[in-house]
Amino acid sequence: MSRFGMRGAALIAAGLAGTLAISACSGQSLEGGGDKAADGQVTLKVNFWGDMGLDALKAAYEKEHPNVKIVLNSGEYNAQHEDLQKKLVAGSGAPDISAVDEGFMVQFRGQADKFVNLLDKGAATYESKYLPWKWQQSKSADGKQIGLGTDVGGLAMCYRSDLFKKAGLPTERDAVSKLWPTWDDFINVGKQYVDKTGKKFVDSATNMFNPVLAQQPQGFYNEQDQLQMEAGPKVAFEISMKAVKAGLSANLVSFQPNWDQGFKKDQFAVLACPAWMIGHIQDTAPDQKGKWDIAAIPGGGGNWGGSWWTIPKQGKNQDEAYKFVEWMIQPQQQIEVFKTVGNLPSQPALYKDPAVLDYKKEFMSNAPTGQIFASTAENLKPQYLGKRNGPTRVAVENVITRVQQGSLAPDSAWPEAVKEATKAANS
Amino acid sequence: MSLTHKAPPVVPQDSEPHPPATPPKHKLWFYRFDTKRTPYVFISPFFILFAIFGLFPIVFNGIVALRTWRLDDPDRNGWAGFDNFERLLHDEDFWNALGNTFGIFILSTVPQLLIALMVANLLNRKLRGTTWWRVGVLLPYVTPIAASTLVFAVFFSRDNGMANWLLSLVGFTDLGDPLDWRAYKWSSWIAIATMVNWKWIGYNALLYLSAMQAIPKDVYEAAAVDGAGPWRQLWRITVPMIRPVVIFTVVLSTIGGLQLFNEPMLFEANPAAATGGSNGQWQTIAQLIYKVGWKDLNLGYAAAMSWALFLIILIVAALNAFITNRLGGGRR
Repeated sequence: MSRFGMRGAALIAAGLAGTLAISACSGQSLEGGGDKAADGQVTLKVNFWGDMGLDALKAAYEKEHPNVKIVLNSGEYNAQHEDLQKKLVAGSGAPDISAVDEGFMVQFRGQADKFVNLLDKGAATYESKYLPWKWQQSKSADGKQIGLGTDVGGLAMCYRSDLFKKAGLPTERDAVSKLWPTWDDFINVGKQYVDKTGKKFVDSATNMFNPVLAQQPQGFYNEQDQLQMEAGPKVAFEISMKAVKAGLSANLVSFQPNWDQGFKKDQFAVLACPAWMIGHIQDTAPDQKGKWDIAAIPGGGGNWGGSWWTIPKQGKNQDEAYKFVEWMIQPQQQIEVFKTVGNLPSQPALYKDPAVLDYKKEFMSNAPTGQIFASTAENLKPQYLGKRNGPTRVAVENVITRVQQGSLAPDSAWPEAVKEATKAANS
Repeated sequence: MSLTHKAPPVVPQDSEPHPPATPPKHKLWFYRFDTKRTPYVFISPFFILFAIFGLFPIVFNGIVALRTWRLDDPDRNGWAGFDNFERLLHDEDFWNALGNTFGIFILSTVPQLLIALMVANLLNRKLRGTTWWRVGVLLPYVTPIAASTLVFAVFFSRDNGMANWLLSLVGFTDLGDPLDWRAYKWSSWIAIATMVNWKWIGYNALLYLSAMQAIPKDVYEAAAVDGAGPWRQLWRITVPMIRPVVIFTVVLSTIGGLQLFNEPMLFEANPAAATGGSNGQWQTIAQLIYKVGWKDLNLGYAAAMSWALFLIILIVAALNAFITNRLGGGRR
C-alpha cells in the first residue's frame, strides 16, 4: 500500500503543479483587467441597446472628469436584459451601469437587493422632477429606488412623405394625422397605398401589435401578474391580423439586417414611432434625411418603451457610477440626448423648456418633435407590465411572424398566440 | 496493484551483487521514482485537465439536472428529483428540436460523407497542381464558422438573397414572390445543411485521401486487369480498405451533427433569439438547451436536456459505427 500511496502522492503533486499553473494564469488576467488602476483611474462600463445618444455625452463627461473612462457597450435589446439577469445571480460580471427597459423593469425591481438603492445616494431630490408614474415604476415594493428614468416612449407615426406623395396621399403632417383617427382608418389608408404603388405599407405587423397593445388599459398581465390574453392583447392581435390580411405588411423582423435593408429599399412607408425610434431611423438610413415626417398615431396616445439607468450592487465604483448617472439625467444632458437621437425625457419640466418645445428635427423634415412627443407624454396612462412581459411579447411576436411568413392562417392564429404566450408565462 | 508487485528489475540487479556499495537511499528512491512514476507524471496533465474541464462539468451537470435552479427567481431552488427529466418527455419543444436535429443531421452527414468520398477519389488521381487542390478543399474548414454562417445567412435571405436569385435563373422561384428560407422546416434545414456540408466536405475528403494513399497500387492494377471500372474499384476496393477512417468520420460527424449550434443560431433573423425560427422550424437541441438555460434562465431543466443529448449521442454514434462497420464488410 505504501507504494500505492507514493503513486498517489506523485499524482497529487503533479495535479497541484497543474492547478497552480492554471490559477497562476487566471490570476494574472484577473488582475490585469482590474477596474481601478493605481493612479485613481476609474473605468465605468455602461450596458444598453440601440442608440441612447451616449457617444457625445461620453466625450463631454470624460473631458470634465479626466480620471473617468467610460466604456459603452450596446447590444441586442433582449440579450442585454437576460445578460444582466445572469450576472446579477452569478454575483459578478455585471456592468457598472445598466439600462433597463420598462418591459423588464418589474422583473428587476423584484430583485432590488441586487441594485444600489439610489435613495441612499441622494436620488430623492429628483423625485419631484419626474413624471410620477415613471418614478414609481422603478421602485421596489419595499420602497427602494433602483433606477433613474431616462426617457419615455410617447407614440407617434413616422411616415415617408416622398412615398406618400407618389401614392397621391397628403404629405403635410396635420393632413396625414387626419387620415387615420382610428386603426381601421389606418388600415384603409394602407390599402389605398398598396393598391396605388404595389408596395407594402408597414414594416411588420408586430410594429402594429406593440403600439396598439400599448394603448390598451391593460397589457399582457394584470397587477397580480396573471396573463390576460383576452383583454388588451386580443384587440392588438386582431388589428395586426387585419393588416396582414389586407397585405399591408412587408413582413420584416424589426431591428434586424433585413429590416435595415427594408429602409433603404423603400419597402415600407410608415413606422410606428415611439420617440426613441427616431434615433433608429437616422442611424439606419442616414441618407433619407428630409424624407421622413411625423404624424399622430391612430387611436391616440400610448407609451412604448422607455428606460432607466440602474447601478448593480456588485460594481466596485458605485459612487463614480452614480455621479455619472446623476449627470446624465440633468436637464442639459437630457435635452442633448433628445436632440441627437430623439429620446423624450421623462421629466415634465423639460416639456415646457423652449429648448425642447421649439426644437425642430431636421432629419424628420423639421418636424417639431418636442411639441409632438411632449403632448403625448403628458397624457400617458402607464400600463402594468408583468415579470414575464419580455418573453411573452417575444412569443406573441413570433406567432405574428409565422402568420406573415404564411405558415399560419391569420384566422386560426389567435389560439396559437394564446398557447405560446401561456407557455412563455410559465416557462 | 499487480503492477506494483513486479519489482523493478534495475534496482535489485544493481544492488545485490555488491552489498557494500549500496547507493544512498535517496538515490535509490529517485531511480525507482524515475522508472516507475515518471511516465504517469508525464501523462498526468491530460487527465488533470480532463478532470477539471471534462469530468467535473459532466458530473456537476448531472447534479444540476436533479435540481431546480432558476436564475430569474433565485429563491426557487432545491432538489427536484427526476422532475426535469419527466418534464422533458412531455415537452413539445424538446421533441421538435430532436426532430430538427436529426433532420438536419441526415441532410448534412449523408451527402457530406458521400461527396467527400468522391472528392477524395478525384484527388487521389494524378492531377496537375495536387497541393493546390488539396489546400483548396480545406479552405472552408479554416474559415471561422461565424464568418461563413453570416455570409450564408445573407445568401439565403428572402429579399435580395443570392440563393433565390440562382433558383430564379433556372426558373424555380419567382423573384416577385421569393422563397422565405426561414419560414419552412424543409427550406431552413436545407440551408443549414448546406452550411455544414460546405464546411466539412473538404476536411473529410482529406482524411479519406490520406487513407486511400496507403492502399497498395497493385490491388487496383489487379482489379483493372480483371475488368473492374473506376466505380466498381471505388466501392469494392477503396471503401472497404479505408473502413476504419470511414467509421471515424461517421462517428465524428454524428457527434458534430447532433451538437449543431453555431449555424442554426446565426441563421436566425435575430441571432440573439435562439428560437430557431418563428416556430422553432430549425431549432436544434443544442440551441434549445442554450435557450432554456440562458434565456429562460432555467438551469436545472437545461442540464437535464444536456444529459438527454449526451445519451442520445452515445446511442446514435454507437449505432452508426455498427452499421457502417457492417456496410463496409466488417465481420465484427
